[in-house]
Amino acid sequence: MTFSWSQAVAWLPVLPLAAAALVPIVAQRNARAAGGFTFVVTLLTAALAVALTIRLVAEGPLTVHLGGWVAPYGIELRFDRLGAWSAPLATFFALVVPFAWRYLEGSVPRERWAAFYALMLLNLGGLIGFSLTVDLFNLFLAMEVVSISSYALVAVAGRGTAAWAALKYLLLGSVSSLLVLFAVALLFALTGSLNLFDVAARLAASEPSPAATLALASLAVAFVVKAALFPLHVWLPDAHAIAPSPVSAVLSGLVVKIGIVGLVRVMQLAGESGIALDVFSELLMLLGAVAIVMGAFLAIFQDDIKLMLAYSTISNIGYIVLGLGLAVPFAVSGALVHVFNHALIKVTLFLAAGSIIHQTGLRTLTDLRGVGRTLPQTCAAMTLGAMAIVGLPPTAGFISKWYIGLGAFSAGRVAYGFALVFGALFVFIYYVRMLNTFYFQRATREEVVAAVEPPWSMRGPVIALAAACLIVGLFGGILLAFITPAVGELLAAMGS
Amino acid sequence: MRWLGLALVVVAAATLMLGVADLPPHGAPDAPVHTHVGARYLERGVAETGMRNLVTAVLLVYRGFDTFLEVVVIFSALVAVVALPRGRAARPDDGDDRPPAASLTAEGPAQQLVSVSPVVAFVVQLLGPFIAVFALASLYRGHVSPGGGFQSAAIFGALFIAIALVQGRERAALLVPRGARVWLQALGPLSFALIGTVGWILTGAFLGYPADAAAYALREAMVVAVEVGIAVGGAVILAQLFMAMEG
Repeated sequence: MTFSWSQAVAWLPVLPLAAAALVPIVAQRNARAAGGFTFVVTLLTAALAVALTIRLVAEGPLTVHLGGWVAPYGIELRFDRLGAWSAPLATFFALVVPFAWRYLEGSVPRERWAAFYALMLLNLGGLIGFSLTVDLFNLFLAMEVVSISSYALVAVAGRGTAAWAALKYLLLGSVSSLLVLFAVALLFALTGSLNLFDVAARLAASEPSPAATLALASLAVAFVVKAALFPLHVWLPDAHAIAPSPVSAVLSGLVVKIGIVGLVRVMQLAGESGIALDVFSELLMLLGAVAIVMGAFLAIFQDDIKLMLAYSTISNIGYIVLGLGLAVPFAVSGALVHVFNHALIKVTLFLAAGSIIHQTGLRTLTDLRGVGRTLPQTCAAMTLGAMAIVGLPPTAGFISKWYIGLGAFSAGRVAYGFALVFGALFVFIYYVRMLNTFYFQRATREEVVAAVEPPWSMRGPVIALAAACLIVGLFGGILLAFITPAVGELLAAMGS
Repeated sequence: MRWLGLALVVVAAATLMLGVADLPPHGAPDAPVHTHVGARYLERGVAETGMRNLVTAVLLVYRGFDTFLEVVVIFSALVAVVALPRGRAARPDDGDDRPPAASLTAEGPAQQLVSVSPVVAFVVQLLGPFIAVFALASLYRGHVSPGGGFQSAAIFGALFIAIALVQGRERAALLVPRGARVWLQALGPLSFALIGTVGWILTGAFLGYPADAAAYALREAMVVAVEVGIAVGGAVILAQLFMAMEG
């Protein structure tokens, strides 16, 4: 056996997926041990992904042909600058899982812990597989692993309307999955191939066909649903707000991004096959701009802090989609960096909000007045996250939004540039409102006055993430430099 | 609102049908599905994979990673059902960590949900062993002749459900020992991870199978191991999904 780094790419999705099957076995002896086991697996996955990212920067993209069959005859996984998204994915899971150890004690019945941890690993493996594969049918399967685990994670706490929220999520998600499967079938019938780049090359070589356009449109609609772009966002607020907070962090920060990764795949497919996407790009920009404003606007009226964060995700997806639709270097770079930045910020905010809810048992702004004085560290982390999501320099949210804005103005889309500014203004209003409640109002609830900071297994990840919001903001240029070559490639294909 | 929905459905359906109408005619010999990747599988599949059945060659060798993810999807379905709140009031906690849905030893009266005629009960009893043998044959010969792990899992699962309906759940649950359940349900993903690693050691590629004639027995053993994982894992998952339905 000769070790090669490209073979290690195969292990990146396989490790968490195979480990997920072991979780119930570990949990049979001790439910708590399952949490430790899951943490170790996420840590190993993150370490592998980081090692691969270092190889990627040094030597260029790593490709693995599974079973040794070259594309298009076999399945190909690519660890390129887009696939490197797996590294932050695994790292965020490695922070969310220890947070969940103690959080679950109060919110999820003990006999469901094994299922919870297994679902987390399945979700991670699916997300990694989705971002690495360039095989269309494989993409569909990875998406199903992510979707099924996400639906179940929403319902895992099993309280109140969780089952209904999960059902709503499942129904819309299934429509989206069916559209992807339909599109893959169309493309296979047209080209006889499943490898994304082979399909694109064969489409480019054949006569333009309405079926190919329909396939791309189906894929685009399907991924827009997964990304919860306005007006197809209706499943998101309930699902993200009702789920246990570690799950909300994963769903809102990471899982919606499969819609974005999917849209990038559609852009690659369209670019390489020479199918014009003008109408599609226009639509993306329009819906993105509307989502920015509507998501932020609706967030202002939420009293429940998790619902507020959920609406903010809709707004931020708007930023990313607007950036992709503009299809100019600044905007696309900004959008792809914002995929990472928003993940970081939203995981921070949901975990901080989860800490507050866990320690006080309260979740509305009205009840949480004055909580900043009793939970100073957690609320400081929340404040830092809030500054980042508004996009105040020097935090993580600034540089990506700035680049999307620059892109809008440089493309001559001034109206969209202003939509972006208005969105930021609304976001500013609702976070000022939150900070005002936390710090400058007198506590009205006994629980708030009696609250103490959460245990270190919860506080540690929150503080680390909040610090990252600041540090990433200071060194945002590195992320831009990392993603720029990929953006260049993407836009060059689309321009041809 | 209802008319709007109807209009949307009609427009969407018309669009999808127009798209499908543009595809190459069904079964046309010069359609891309028959001339590109598929043609190469037919031409060289047997020689370059060493498999005697081309379906197995595609399922396990060329696109083995897809099959791995399919097995993971089936496992996810079980975990998802286990994670869901129970439809009825949960049973009092019996003190261990196992999820109630994974527990096959449901107690209490009214286990016999349907009153089964003695004729049906007798036929199930009579045919049970034959069905089991058929499932085994489908498993063992599946990579050569029609059949395979998934089919075998479906037959075993159906047999389990038939026995549970006729003999009651407790009797059926004895077929899948409680302690072994968590191991057996994991066999699908685990067998792929294990055999994939063996393939990596032997061929240098994850999920690779040695293709030369000399490695015939080894290759055969690897394929059967994966098929057993799919069949046993799938059957145990089907059985548990059935038992999770308390209604």
